Amino acid sequence: MLDSATPGISIDADTGLCQFCEHFTPLTPEKKEEYGSRMDSLLKSPPDKGKFDVIFALSGGVDSSYMLHRIKREYPHLNILAVQFDNGFISDTALENAQKFCALTKSTYMRLSLDQEALQVTFSKAANSFNAYPGAAKYRASDICNTCISIIKQKIIELALTTKAPFIIFAFSPGQTDAPFVTLSKPVLVWMRKLFDRNLKTMGVTDREPYLIDAHLLQPGSYNHEVMMIHPFLIWDYDKIKFKKECIQQGWIDPNLKDQNSSNCLLNAFAIKNHLDKYHIHSYAYDLASLVRQGYMKREDALKKLTLQIPDITDEEIKRKLKL
Amino acid sequence: MEELRNDILDFLKKQGFFNEKTRLQDNDSLSETGVIDSITLLQLIDFLEAKYNIRIPVEMITPENFDTLAGISQSVIKLKNG
Repeated sequence: MLDSATPGISIDADTGLCQFCEHFTPLTPEKKEEYGSRMDSLLKSPPDKGKFDVIFALSGGVDSSYMLHRIKREYPHLNILAVQFDNGFISDTALENAQKFCALTKSTYMRLSLDQEALQVTFSKAANSFNAYPGAAKYRASDICNTCISIIKQKIIELALTTKAPFIIFAFSPGQTDAPFVTLSKPVLVWMRKLFDRNLKTMGVTDREPYLIDAHLLQPGSYNHEVMMIHPFLIWDYDKIKFKKECIQQGWIDPNLKDQNSSNCLLNAFAIKNHLDKYHIHSYAYDLASLVRQGYMKREDALKKLTLQIPDITDEEIKRKLKL
Repeated sequence: MEELRNDILDFLKKQGFFNEKTRLQDNDSLSETGVIDSITLLQLIDFLEAKYNIRIPVEMITPENFDTLAGISQSVIKLKNG
């Protein structure tokens, strides 16, 4: 999946493996069980602190729709606020899917919108930026997607702090993260905020506050409850084909975006192309390689996902919207 | 201390796509130099806990303790010595 033509990847001459496969240690069944028990004990009796137990990042795509449905099936008592970030490029079908799954799971739906014009300028700056994110981040996502995901994280953490929700759930795949539980202490949040602020500054974004956690919330003595981020796909088996089938059975509609890697965002394929042009890195290769390594996907299926198709009309439309 | 420092550098090279040509001084900021981001930081914490059989309290995860090779090495030694 990751070959020697990919910058930063070295293939061992003897084994033919890249550095990630060389050092890969699969999660043992015991460890997985331990994580499962931990998630159970956390979600079965969440601390009673605020209106919501969970702030859930819902894109309306397959993964997050499936996860919301399964979380509510396994933990029906949870009060969930499902937040869909409107980045201006969400497909109508994704908006419909998200609302449908919230109704189905009796979760509260929230469409999080920011100043759309400013957001487009920010994405445009991300597209034109070079090395705004560190080496490792460039392999996990494109500059545009890193910017979008970071904004979502910052605003969802802010919501968890203001509503006193103890848990945040993201539907990251086992290729996108390898920490099932992340405790967000105040020093960690201050640091995360500072890091993203610097990324935005490097891109030339001047009005950065709307994209960051409200600074007042991070002042000493401002809050005293602990927030934990949970990534259930590191605990459950990750089977995208099964997820899609189950979602469709529940009324989820396939938006047919002609993008192999997204079922919700119209900007994604453009972002991949932009990243490939700048760094010669396909921003899904690392994620897909990790899924293949962990046995969740066949190599040939993953390779198919690396072929990129963006209809000219979509490409032009996005360039026009981003004023590129 | 030197061995610990090399373990951290090895980890960053393998996991963080740390450029082999990059020369880091002990007090250079890992985030300022673009070697780590928040996700790499969490992976580094996991690695250190497993490698040195320690538990790093969340209050300790601050730029002062974990943004430089020197800070990380000192923090690990402090935790190892109880």
